[in-house]
Amino acid sequence: MLMFSYLMATGLTTGAFYALVALGIVIVYKSTQVVNLAHGELFMVGGMLAYTCHVMAGVPYLPSLLLAVAGAFVVGILTERVAYRSVLKHGLASVLVATIGVSFVLKGIGRYIWGGKGDYLAFPPIVSPEPLQFGNIMIMSQQLVVLLAVIMVMAALGLFFKRTRAGKWMQATASNPRAARLCGLRIERIYMYTFAVGAAVAGAAGVLMAPLTHLYPDVGFVLFIKGMAAAVLGGLTSIPGAVLGGVLLGLAEQLAAGYLHSSIQDVVAFLVIMFALIFLPTGLLGVRGLRKV
Amino acid sequence: MQRLATTITATLALAAIALQAQAQGADVPGVTNTEIKVGSFGPLTGPVYIYGKLTMNGVEVYFNKLNQAGGVHGRKLVLVREDDLCKPEGAIAAVKKLVHEHKVFAIIGGGCSNSTLAARPDIEKEHVPFHVFAAVADGIVDPPAPNIYTTQITASIESKAQIQWAIDKGAKKLAIIAQHDAWGRARYEPMIQDFKRRGIQVVADEEVTVDQNDGTAQALKLKAAGADAIMLLGYPKPAAVVIRDSIKIGYKPLWVGQTAIQDLPALQALIGINGALADFVSITTVPGHPDNPQYAEWRKLLKDTFPNDDLSVFNLMGIAAAEVFVKVLEAAGKDLTREKFLAAYNTIDNFKSSIYPGPITCKGGHKCNESPAFVKLENNNVVFAGTAALK
Repeated sequence: MLMFSYLMATGLTTGAFYALVALGIVIVYKSTQVVNLAHGELFMVGGMLAYTCHVMAGVPYLPSLLLAVAGAFVVGILTERVAYRSVLKHGLASVLVATIGVSFVLKGIGRYIWGGKGDYLAFPPIVSPEPLQFGNIMIMSQQLVVLLAVIMVMAALGLFFKRTRAGKWMQATASNPRAARLCGLRIERIYMYTFAVGAAVAGAAGVLMAPLTHLYPDVGFVLFIKGMAAAVLGGLTSIPGAVLGGVLLGLAEQLAAGYLHSSIQDVVAFLVIMFALIFLPTGLLGVRGLRKV
Repeated sequence: MQRLATTITATLALAAIALQAQAQGADVPGVTNTEIKVGSFGPLTGPVYIYGKLTMNGVEVYFNKLNQAGGVHGRKLVLVREDDLCKPEGAIAAVKKLVHEHKVFAIIGGGCSNSTLAARPDIEKEHVPFHVFAAVADGIVDPPAPNIYTTQITASIESKAQIQWAIDKGAKKLAIIAQHDAWGRARYEPMIQDFKRRGIQVVADEEVTVDQNDGTAQALKLKAAGADAIMLLGYPKPAAVVIRDSIKIGYKPLWVGQTAIQDLPALQALIGINGALADFVSITTVPGHPDNPQYAEWRKLLKDTFPNDDLSVFNLMGIAAAEVFVKVLEAAGKDLTREKFLAAYNTIDNFKSSIYPGPITCKGGHKCNESPAFVKLENNNVVFAGTAALK
């Protein structure tokens, strides 16, 4: 029973990791219909910027977090202006390919700037590194920070898309770019801000998760795969779905590793993606697109 | 008239000697009267670039220092790098390019085991001397090839030493947690064989991946099996994650690590919990931490050449390998040939390197480093923990 409790608690906190990554993927997809394959590298950029500010330059944690998020936002704008906008006219598939290119470029930059500092960079936790006791199980306090951050980001994004004009513009653009343009929306600018917001969320995730994932130029890839699995399972257009998908993936991984074998742990994400694509193409909470003829 | 004849004769003799020397130099690939071209291959880019790029940076820093002091027998050493991306096909192409395009005299390199193994047939075929600086797979030098030597402790030696250390410390229930990629299997398989040879049944055999972010499930299973010593065959990140999550569940066995996790302060920083390495030892390539005062000169020289680098174990591995490589070059003499160079490895007997913890002996074997030493962390200082006498 103790083992089961630990696996469930760890599944929940690990699932929060994946949910935080999935949220950024969903924001971009919800507004542009593009899966940003460079999302993991934006996570890395956020973490590395915070490392540079906080660990190398000695800037306090909170300003470092804000600077890193702002930095990731700017990188999001730059990638859209430099790499995506020019290929947008050739269709979304071209943008998708461009995101692969951006992913490699960001990784290369990461290796060039931070690559000589060691194999893995340790980032100090925002809270005590000692585990906290809940009943008869222990949880790392930094994992609770990530869990809290997921709830906050999910709530903020929900409000943003439902209550703000910019959020509605983004959804309108995603739903029908031509109609949005006819209504006077500058869709290129909306795409730009969408990629920037997605990057900022990735950057925030990078900073919050860095004490647990550690930092290295390739840290983003596996987290992207896990985040993608969570987003596909939950529904690529659903913010609560991303969180639900993340938690279910985290639980599935832990239970598989605990009760079957640890060698299966990393395979679970791929099985989830395959399962979702075959049996739940719109995900658990995703919305099937309707088109009136 | 006689003086003129003497002068002409002397001039002609000198010219003949010079031409002969030049001709001799031209016969030996990569060697001129002023320089020796040395090749290197390993990952310069990609996820594991640290085993290539940083180790090569160490080699280059050593060569630079030597060149400023006049080189080897008056010849400067020039390092030519090729990126193998840690891939077999990359290493094969890199070796071909170094031998045929750059025409190097010898190669000091090999960052990744699997790619270096793949390049071995070409290295043997080309008869180019090859000194391994980082890759650990036994198959690179076992069975021995006449032109391949390594100063890195090989995987099987490390795996045996890990088991021996645990047994020497009185551990009764031994377990393994390992990466099962090419790097991990090079260590895991000799370890399983050594367990069989000793008639020991491991109580748990768990797996981690290089990008593991949580090790709770593994820690729970190791604890449930009652393991009192764990052979840790993983990179620093999975190692840190599993140790952290073991502490989280209140499980504190003896951890026995290997050279991939020898930077103990860095590992402690990754785990982030005070005293996390109280029951941890690791095999080491370098007896002290890169921040120790004994490496101050290397730290400075590295920073001068590569401002983005902070001195790491990987840099020191390159410096250590380069030191032995140069020792062999010196022993080969001024009239350098590949044959003389390879023969000179036999003169390396109980060489006390300034970096490797144990003596280096290439005489009579191609695994020149068979002295696994262990380190532990005390008061955040890396200290010598002892050696494991292999049985």
